[in-house]
Amino acid sequence: MSSESSKKRKPKVIRSDGAPAEGKRNRSDTEQEGKYYSEEAEVDLRDPGRDYELYKYTCQELQRLMAEIQDLKSRGGKDAAVEIEDRRIQSCVHFMTLKKLNRLAHIRLKKGRDQTHEAKQKVDAYHLQLQNLLYEVMHLQKEITKCLEFKSKHEEIDLVSLEEFYKEAPPDISKAEVTMGDPHQQTLARLDWELEQRKRLAEKYRECLSNKEKILKEIEVKKEYLSSLQPRLNSIMQASLPVQEYLFMPFDQAHKQYETARHLPPPLYVLFVQTTAYGQACDKTLSVAIEGSVDEAKALFKPPEDSQDDESDSDAEEEQTTKRRRPTLGVQLDDKRKEMLKRHPLSVMLDLKCKDDSVLHLTFYYLMNLNIMTVKAKVTTATELITPISAGDLLSPDSVLSCLYPGDHGKKTPNPANQYQFDKVGILTLRDYVLDLGHPYLWVQKLGGLHFPKEQPQHTVIADHSLSASHMETTMKLLKTRVQSRLALHKQFASLEHGIVPVTSDCQYLFPAKVVSRLVKWVTIAHEDYTELHFTKDIVEAGLAGDTNLYYMALVERGTAKLQAAVVLNPGYSSIPPIFQLCLNWKGEKTNNNDDNIRAMESEVNVCYKELCGPQPSHQLLTNQLQRLCVLLDVYLETESHDDSVEGPKEFPQEKMCLRLFRGPSRMKPFKYNHPQGFFSHR
Amino acid sequence: MVTFQAHDGPVYSMVSTDRHLLSAGDGEVKAWLWAEILKKGCKELWRRQPPYRTSLEVPEINALLLVPKENSLILAGGDCQLHTMDLETGTFTRALWGHTDYIHCLALRERSPEVLSGGEDGAVRLWDLRTAKEVQTIEVYKHEECSRPHNGRWIGCLATDSDWMVCGGGPALTLWHLRSSTPTTIFPMRAPQKHVTFYQDLILSAGQGRCVNQWQLSGELKAQVPGSSPGLLSLSLNQQPAAPECKVGSARGSGDPGRPGCVDRSVTTLLPLGPDSRRQQLQGGCLYQSGLPSFLPVLLTSSNTPTSISGV
Repeated sequence: MSSESSKKRKPKVIRSDGAPAEGKRNRSDTEQEGKYYSEEAEVDLRDPGRDYELYKYTCQELQRLMAEIQDLKSRGGKDAAVEIEDRRIQSCVHFMTLKKLNRLAHIRLKKGRDQTHEAKQKVDAYHLQLQNLLYEVMHLQKEITKCLEFKSKHEEIDLVSLEEFYKEAPPDISKAEVTMGDPHQQTLARLDWELEQRKRLAEKYRECLSNKEKILKEIEVKKEYLSSLQPRLNSIMQASLPVQEYLFMPFDQAHKQYETARHLPPPLYVLFVQTTAYGQACDKTLSVAIEGSVDEAKALFKPPEDSQDDESDSDAEEEQTTKRRRPTLGVQLDDKRKEMLKRHPLSVMLDLKCKDDSVLHLTFYYLMNLNIMTVKAKVTTATELITPISAGDLLSPDSVLSCLYPGDHGKKTPNPANQYQFDKVGILTLRDYVLDLGHPYLWVQKLGGLHFPKEQPQHTVIADHSLSASHMETTMKLLKTRVQSRLALHKQFASLEHGIVPVTSDCQYLFPAKVVSRLVKWVTIAHEDYTELHFTKDIVEAGLAGDTNLYYMALVERGTAKLQAAVVLNPGYSSIPPIFQLCLNWKGEKTNNNDDNIRAMESEVNVCYKELCGPQPSHQLLTNQLQRLCVLLDVYLETESHDDSVEGPKEFPQEKMCLRLFRGPSRMKPFKYNHPQGFFSHR
Repeated sequence: MVTFQAHDGPVYSMVSTDRHLLSAGDGEVKAWLWAEILKKGCKELWRRQPPYRTSLEVPEINALLLVPKENSLILAGGDCQLHTMDLETGTFTRALWGHTDYIHCLALRERSPEVLSGGEDGAVRLWDLRTAKEVQTIEVYKHEECSRPHNGRWIGCLATDSDWMVCGGGPALTLWHLRSSTPTTIFPMRAPQKHVTFYQDLILSAGQGRCVNQWQLSGELKAQVPGSSPGLLSLSLNQQPAAPECKVGSARGSGDPGRPGCVDRSVTTLLPLGPDSRRQQLQGGCLYQSGLPSFLPVLLTSSNTPTSISGV
């Protein structure tokens, strides 16, 4: 057994070297075939199924023998040892069989594995080849596409079309016979032609450039010539000045004005242009001039950092002042205010001549930082005027232009943006500075083309010619009417203060021939005094007594009767009628509260004013109203019914002719005068 | 509120029937339908002018009076006559003349039937409608108790209660017994009264001065209810307190509203007569109407313009 096992063991050792050495071993096998027992060859010969059966049978036998041994051992006895030994040897043999079977199984397994491995390797090799080929194919395909996409540079050139080419190219280039058939040759020919053409054109271009240079030089020369002409022309103009003056054609003067006008700020410029135009076209009595210093105006705009922002101008100045003298806070604020309210050095002066030789002088200023225009007015008359006391305010420069348009009192700045600027420097309103700077009326802004929208402040309001032009005519007319009506009032007041109501002859028909009541007093009263009178409450409540109006008190007397009349004169007098409120002191105090006839008298004077206007322009309105008041007082007193209980005749005998003394439930008196019949009736 | 221009000149008096509103001013009387007015229309139904003698000046019509029994309207005014107009046919049936100066006011004495008229000449005349003749004349200013010569002699207001009559104006406000033509009570009111009326056992009067005065028959002043305007021209009573709707018309006197210098103060005030002192004020204008769901008799006044109100 041991030699068997050693025999078996040796081939096992040799065999375990594995498959790679199979080739060698095959040779050694064949050599040793006769000597050694090759189990591997045996494996191929035996049937695995049968080996499996053998294995099962062997196991069974072993189990049986073991069981028998067990039996014998447990029974004990002498025979048993021999039996046991016998069985032991048998079981050893079985063990040997088992071992062999095990070896065979291992060998089979190994063989199977080797075979699989070989096959796998082959497959891998093929797979690799396939991959390589595919890769090559792809590569070649890419190359093909690249080649197909290739664009040669010659295709980018826009060649002339074929027909043109054949038409234009000379035959030695086009070579029609060759190129027609062969597209390659054709393209080559075309490219040739292209090259030729380009060369030719480059030549032309060079020629043109040189031409241009020449011409530029010529232009330079001529320019020099012209510029030397300018001073010569100036000297000729100078020489012609005396001739202009001699012929009364002040072109030079107008020219100078236009020169100065160039330095005006935009609103003043608009005003200047529009008024000159209006003066030339419509109104010969208008004359326009520019006053002020042109150098200062130029100085305002010379340094570039000052021209853009006026604030930086003021800041720069302010810095300088602080460096120089370190003024106190109040003075600093004052300086700031002065800076805010600064006027442009140039101003436009307008002279309006009226029919009676009185002149209205208007000077227009422009406040740069506030972007508004202001005006100062002055009225001069042909003859020296003696101002009656009550007429003090009529022509004063402060108020003569107040409310030219209704509501335009000129005390507030029309530019809403100014309020923010004022807050910065502590100015409450422009009213305090108005005397110095002039009034910023709305019509002045409109003449300068500045249109301020009502509520929102705008950053830039530019001067607009069309706005100015549309307002020019109305404003000029209003200015003239204003001056004339004020002057007329002036004259009338002089007469009224002496107690005479000056009724012109063409208004005489409105009144009866004999008027007994007389105007005794005519004075101005202040606005506060007017509002405190007890019989003016209705007018004050109706909002008709503002502080832009002028207030007067007239006293009419006849006998013991005294009639007080409080008059509200609107600045727009004679287009807006004055309003009278009456209080009669005779046998008690009668006002419109307690006497219906006083109300009727007021309505005769206030409401029926159109009859009293007189010829246009209706400057006679006030005097006619006063005269009518006197007539009404006459009628009132004379038609009062006689008191039978009192002795003596009536204080005022009836001299007026009346149809009926009383009418209606309120017993109205006949206040209406009928011309030419000359009697009084009810309205 | 409906407002429309009714006349070219001032409107001096108005009366109302169930369906019509009649207004009169400068010489003409016009009629309007209440139904139309409610619908805010303003077309006049008809207008008539009584035959005047003179044509120099068109006289005004100061007072209108309805005589329901005859279905006629009596007009009186500037031409010193009373004209009667039949409301059915529109013809002027009679003209009663006797006043020497223009007539201010009229009143109807129901039982007889007689019409009382008071005028500028200071006389109250009674006319019998059936005979068309003057029956009685009372010259108020001749009686010393009531005459006030410094005011004049004109009779501005008149009211009658068949046996009794109240009149005032230039002379003091006086209560007269008609049959004996004697003044019984004189009311101590200094300002001339423009309108007076009987109400239950009181006499209500209004004139210059803010208040409506309530007098007892004995001459004592019971109450003074102030209104809002400085003077009052006419009163009217809503006699049907349970009526769900009361249409009020008021007319403005002057024809030119709202001009400066002629401040318009025609205001209509509603004053309750009862203990409740609630007051309602209606802004005056031309014709207008309002609904009054009131349970108290309400007094309507108008002021400062020659107007009159009628309440339905």
